[in-house]
Amino acid sequence: MLGLVCARAAHTQVQLRLSADTAKPGDTIWAGLDLKMEPGWHTYWKNPGDAGQATEIKWQLPAGVTAGEIQWPLPEKLPPAEVTTYGYENEVVLLVPLTLASNLPAGALNLAAKVSWLECKESCIPASAEVEAKINVGGETKTSADATTIESWKSKVPQKGNPFSLNAWWEKSPVGDSRSLIIGKQPSLVAVKNKKYDSVDFFPDASEQFEIGAATEIISAYSADLRIRKVVKKFSGDWPKEISGEIVVKLSGRQAGFDMSFPISENSPMLPSQTLLFMLVYAFIGGLILNIMPCVLPVIALKILGFVSEAKSEPRRVRNLGLIYALGVLLSFLALAALVIGVKAAGNHAGWGMQFGSPVFIVCLTTLVTLVALNLFGIFEVILGGSALNTAGELASKHGAAGAFFNGVLATVLATPCTAPFLGAALGFAFAQSAAVIVLIFLTVGLGLASPYILLSWNPAWLKFLPKPGAWMEKFKIAMGFPMLATVVWLFNVAASSYGKNVLWLGIFLVVVAFAAWIFGEFFQRGRSRKGVALALVLILLAGGYAFALEKELDWRKALPDAGTTGSLKESADGIDWQRWSPEAVATARAAGKVVLVDFTADWCLTCQVNKKTSVEISSVREKIKSLNAVALLGDYTHFPDAITTELNRYNRAGVPLVLVYPKGADAAAIVLPEVLTPGIVLDALDRAAN
Amino acid sequence: MKKIFALFAALALATATFAVEIGKPAPDFTGTDITGKTVKLSDFKGKIVVIESYNSDCPFCHNHYASGAMQELQKALATKGVVWLLVDSVNTNNFSYRTPAQAQKEWAELKIAATAWLDDHSGDIGHLYGMKTTPHCFVIAADGTLTYDGAIDDRPQPFGDPRPAKNYVRAAVDELLAGKPVTVTQTKPYGCGVHYAN
Repeated sequence: MLGLVCARAAHTQVQLRLSADTAKPGDTIWAGLDLKMEPGWHTYWKNPGDAGQATEIKWQLPAGVTAGEIQWPLPEKLPPAEVTTYGYENEVVLLVPLTLASNLPAGALNLAAKVSWLECKESCIPASAEVEAKINVGGETKTSADATTIESWKSKVPQKGNPFSLNAWWEKSPVGDSRSLIIGKQPSLVAVKNKKYDSVDFFPDASEQFEIGAATEIISAYSADLRIRKVVKKFSGDWPKEISGEIVVKLSGRQAGFDMSFPISENSPMLPSQTLLFMLVYAFIGGLILNIMPCVLPVIALKILGFVSEAKSEPRRVRNLGLIYALGVLLSFLALAALVIGVKAAGNHAGWGMQFGSPVFIVCLTTLVTLVALNLFGIFEVILGGSALNTAGELASKHGAAGAFFNGVLATVLATPCTAPFLGAALGFAFAQSAAVIVLIFLTVGLGLASPYILLSWNPAWLKFLPKPGAWMEKFKIAMGFPMLATVVWLFNVAASSYGKNVLWLGIFLVVVAFAAWIFGEFFQRGRSRKGVALALVLILLAGGYAFALEKELDWRKALPDAGTTGSLKESADGIDWQRWSPEAVATARAAGKVVLVDFTADWCLTCQVNKKTSVEISSVREKIKSLNAVALLGDYTHFPDAITTELNRYNRAGVPLVLVYPKGADAAAIVLPEVLTPGIVLDALDRAAN
Repeated sequence: MKKIFALFAALALATATFAVEIGKPAPDFTGTDITGKTVKLSDFKGKIVVIESYNSDCPFCHNHYASGAMQELQKALATKGVVWLLVDSVNTNNFSYRTPAQAQKEWAELKIAATAWLDDHSGDIGHLYGMKTTPHCFVIAADGTLTYDGAIDDRPQPFGDPRPAKNYVRAAVDELLAGKPVTVTQTKPYGCGVHYAN
């Protein structure tokens, strides 16, 4: 048995075929090495993959005849997955151009070659064979009987070129010696004719320094945004700067390969600069509109109060406070950008408002907003030293620099769960870009958010339209505590999705905090004696509340696992029959020829909730879905599942809401609805999708 | 905000788990050798261990034994106290599977000079180490860290004398014995694919 390897092959027959019987000096003819494998046996491509060995040809050619490089027909990817190889089963014709020198004398020439290959089935056998063929050099070119066979195999050799305008870029920083690589199209903002391939793959050329793993993750098989993910393992040296190989696309059983090489960029490809400018404009307008989105509204009330109290101040002071507010906004956006860059560098998907996926963040924010509401109610004061200030006149100093800065931070933090028109496109663009572009776009959004106040504070004359400060301000201040309370209720509801029924303990903690705040305000800040006792009591309450309610009962750093419910996610008996979203669910419904409505939403996404109430979960849409027999799929982004992040990225979005309507017909591209919906938009999209 | 970042950073590490990584502790395994003895990697702590994915029906692997080069290397390293484990992950239905009796016969015929031949027909050890080919080799330092993962040498040929080639396993072991860091830590393994079960 051990001697078997020495035995001369036999599972592969080799024959040398030529494209011409007679050729003129100066011609290039094609040699085809026809390898016929017995069933089950295979030979290898130029990059054999995880194992195996490429077939080699050693020519013995007469003077005046030179052989070019082997042109390899597109191979197949051969199993098993853990040791994937690239090779040929049944038959392959390896093509070699043979050039005849122009001074070649007429006559018959013998062309010979030694072919060595490794053939494998259950085991592998190295084999070789001597082959030869004759060609007549004469005054004319006469094709041979094999010419058509050679032509048909030539058509299987991948063409050089990059018809899809693909690029390659590192998706993440390396993890050990592995790094994920994206091969895909440049992001495009213009709608392109879209075709979906059955599969997309990349067969890399062989390399000694690194290995591009055989597994391919298809991110998008649509021609407009073709994108795949490969894992590169480095053996030695630096990370490769360039890769080459064949892009392989399959469509209804037919496959085509394109031979290409491209540099690997450190970052995802940039859009042309005018598009960046375009996106900056989008970011600014988006930031501006954020001011009137439901998330930020409570803060606006605070801001109005600030302006009213400042109206009588010196213009310079008003101006400074406006700038400090803007600074608070901008620094917060800078922090957000840093977070996004950090998360991306750590190799994770980043998303707009992703901090809302963390229950710890939600608890902290709920507590903070509760304290803001209590402060507005006058239960305690926020002052840096000195005694409490109670009159409206003194409010101005309270809304000093620290207050303005805090407002800026709060506005940003509360803004993140919302996206606004224009903002989605700008952020979707930013998240796929380099760190510098992310910072630039984020700052522009912040600038847009802060701009109305900068303008107002720059022209204090405009403030004359506001009522004069007076005793009413104290009442207004208290009234403004209620929108803050509403925010608390919303955040509490978001926390419920992480903690389930245990969220009760967060409520109890908030009551303890409120009680502590009252003692602090009443007996420490405004009290006259035994201030120390009051402060001690406050600290005991906070520590006890934290230790018992948050740590012990709520176990606040541990969220409940996502309930993997299947079946209907219907909210009421006659509500839309939502099913859980998954790429497979979309594919199944589309294969069944149905119109599909997909709503990516999150508990913390206020814009999503508003959309749902006004334009999705309404009777006219329900009836339309029923009458079209459409499938409704709900993607819950509350806890940032990767699958949805990937899907959002496909549509160049960084966050929810994203509502899609897939028309009938498996190849038609989805209709992407705007961030802010009206019933008309949804109904119209469904109608268009049905036709 | 910091907490969130820490959370995401922890997540990143959790998802980035690899079977074996250079500079990390080589994962422990327990196997049965062809004489029925239980062999545990951690039993060899304090010694340099070479692991070789083995299948002598594979012409690449076979050539190293037919030429005697592999046995010479095994003997030379054994005198320096190096442990050499053959891991045979061929599944029981494959033509190249060896029953313990057949394996013992082959061991004697080829004069294999390794420490043990582990029958890994389940493929557990092979998968644990991500063995792709025969011969795919690993060198583990005395302290248990993985220092080499890849081909036996730089000559991916099933014929001829392998001795003149640059032998990566010998180089890694020599460097470890000299107390030097290993220069070539990873190469692309060559040979036949491992015939795993299923």
